[in-house]
Amino acid sequence: MKLKKIFILSAAVMLFVLLSGCSASAMRSNSWSGLSADAEKAYLAKGTFVYAISLSNGSMAWRYPAEKADSKEAYFANPVLSEDGQLIIASAGSNHSLSSLNPATGNLNWTFSDAEGVWIASPLVLGDTLYAPNTDGKLYALDLNGSFLWAKHIGGALWAQPVSDGDFLYITSLDHHVYAFDLQKKEVTWNVDLGGAIPGALALDAEGKLYLGSFASAIVSIDSQSQNLAWETPTKGWIWDAPVLDADTLYVGDLDGYFHSINTADGSENWDAFQPDGPVTGSPLVSKDFVVLGTESGTAYAIDNDGKIVWQQNVGERLYTNPVQSGELLLFAPTGIKIKIALVALDIEGRQVWQFTPEN
Amino acid sequence: MWDTYIIIPMSNVLLWIYEIIGHNFGIAIILFTILIRAITWPLTAQQLKGTQGMQELQKDKEWLGIQKKYKNDKEKLASEQMRIYKERGINPFGSCLPTFIQFPIIIGLYQSIIRSLAATPLSLLNLSRSLYSFLDVSQIIPLNSRFLWMDLGRPESINVFGFALPTLAIIVVITSYIQSKLMTPPSNPGDQGAAMGNMMAIYMPFLMGYFAMTFASGLALYFIVSNLLGIAQYAMMGKANWSNLIPGKKS
Repeated sequence: MKLKKIFILSAAVMLFVLLSGCSASAMRSNSWSGLSADAEKAYLAKGTFVYAISLSNGSMAWRYPAEKADSKEAYFANPVLSEDGQLIIASAGSNHSLSSLNPATGNLNWTFSDAEGVWIASPLVLGDTLYAPNTDGKLYALDLNGSFLWAKHIGGALWAQPVSDGDFLYITSLDHHVYAFDLQKKEVTWNVDLGGAIPGALALDAEGKLYLGSFASAIVSIDSQSQNLAWETPTKGWIWDAPVLDADTLYVGDLDGYFHSINTADGSENWDAFQPDGPVTGSPLVSKDFVVLGTESGTAYAIDNDGKIVWQQNVGERLYTNPVQSGELLLFAPTGIKIKIALVALDIEGRQVWQFTPEN
Repeated sequence: MWDTYIIIPMSNVLLWIYEIIGHNFGIAIILFTILIRAITWPLTAQQLKGTQGMQELQKDKEWLGIQKKYKNDKEKLASEQMRIYKERGINPFGSCLPTFIQFPIIIGLYQSIIRSLAATPLSLLNLSRSLYSFLDVSQIIPLNSRFLWMDLGRPESINVFGFALPTLAIIVVITSYIQSKLMTPPSNPGDQGAAMGNMMAIYMPFLMGYFAMTFASGLALYFIVSNLLGIAQYAMMGKANWSNLIPGKKS
């Protein structure tokens, strides 16, 4: 009898340890890095730290926090550089913090942590206001000192950075809708249901056409003036992140492992979808002579306008994060379990220049 | 292995229920708990039988006799005890088994809830790949994690005069306590086993309450429904010892 009770108690303690382990690892592992860069440094949001890495040699310039990590923080939104010289970082951890750092030193300027949900999306800085979409379905507006201005409910969970034409913010949501938010009236004026979750951002051209994909496995174009669907092009797999515009061509990858080049005028495919070696999650990068993309299999590709491979380079681990270019360097942030490399810099011919591995 | 045989099937069943009942994750967890309880019904019945058998043994003359006779010979005592278990068809661990079966279910359910709610990009990507083809994935993502006042993916509390009151955790403690007490059969004074049982009836509910307070409230919902169904099951089988709930009354 006594043995039985001790047995049950021991099992209960084990259960507690296992559950604790599950919940902690759920937040830690479920992230891929956020990445941005200026002319001198790359800024990498990776789990409990944000790193600034010197582009000249791949060494760490600073990290935030400088000392001990806060386990309640989980940074994986792309850090945003504002025109007034701030680096805005958003955390998906339980602190719900949106913070401003000095990009030169990594010192903290301010933190806003009054949102109900966590931050998956990067904020958008427009003039002297910061617009931050949150997973609680609200759009938060702060001034550039981090002071709260207002918050408006938009829809379901907001995971992507908004895009603006100056009068409206266009915001995508996991609730299957894209919303147009009037910045003067501070209200949603129209929305369109795409029939599938939209975890990524959208592209906006000079004529006010929106281009975006969703889990409904299609790329659509919406005229922001009439709110009408201009065209819809089916894709093999779900679209995760925003398509990228290059003049009248739209580039986007899907989760079934196809990469599309689409004519913005009518949605027709310019060439048969290119098939890299794995699913494409992140938005591609339009460089001077080619388009760069990364795959879940860990390969970086450069392809020309006709869909021909210019070069390909195995980076080693899964590439979910959007590639970023700074000068002559192409930056890739792999997500790995076995290999701890957090950032790889390639030159424009696909040769590795350096790699960055964070210290423990 | 764990993922393939526990988490993925559980997530799919949970999401299938969610889909057919009109996208309410709270109701899906409740129905899922009823399903688990129905599957483990024979085990719970065996647990009750085992507990009762062990309790009756404590009062048995032959059992008490060998305890006295071989109190200085542990080896002989153990072999005599085993003989009696065998003769009377009692499995001494039979009453533990259903409790142990519950643990992987609790861990699996917790992981299924966290995975199904897919609160981060990589978890959403993983979820999309672990769902069976009978689910219309593009329609059910994202899951509606709201149920009544709760976000089922997060610990629950209600703000009462500026104090965060963990209401679900309190209900878990109360229902766990009632269930434990109802399961405890009448015992004799000085019965060490019963004393230990009474202690378990006190600290186990608090441990479950701590789980409920710390982890996703979907798990607390599972605990509450599971406890209520357990109480109903004991009552239906005529095994519930309601007198144990009366304060001051000796069990």
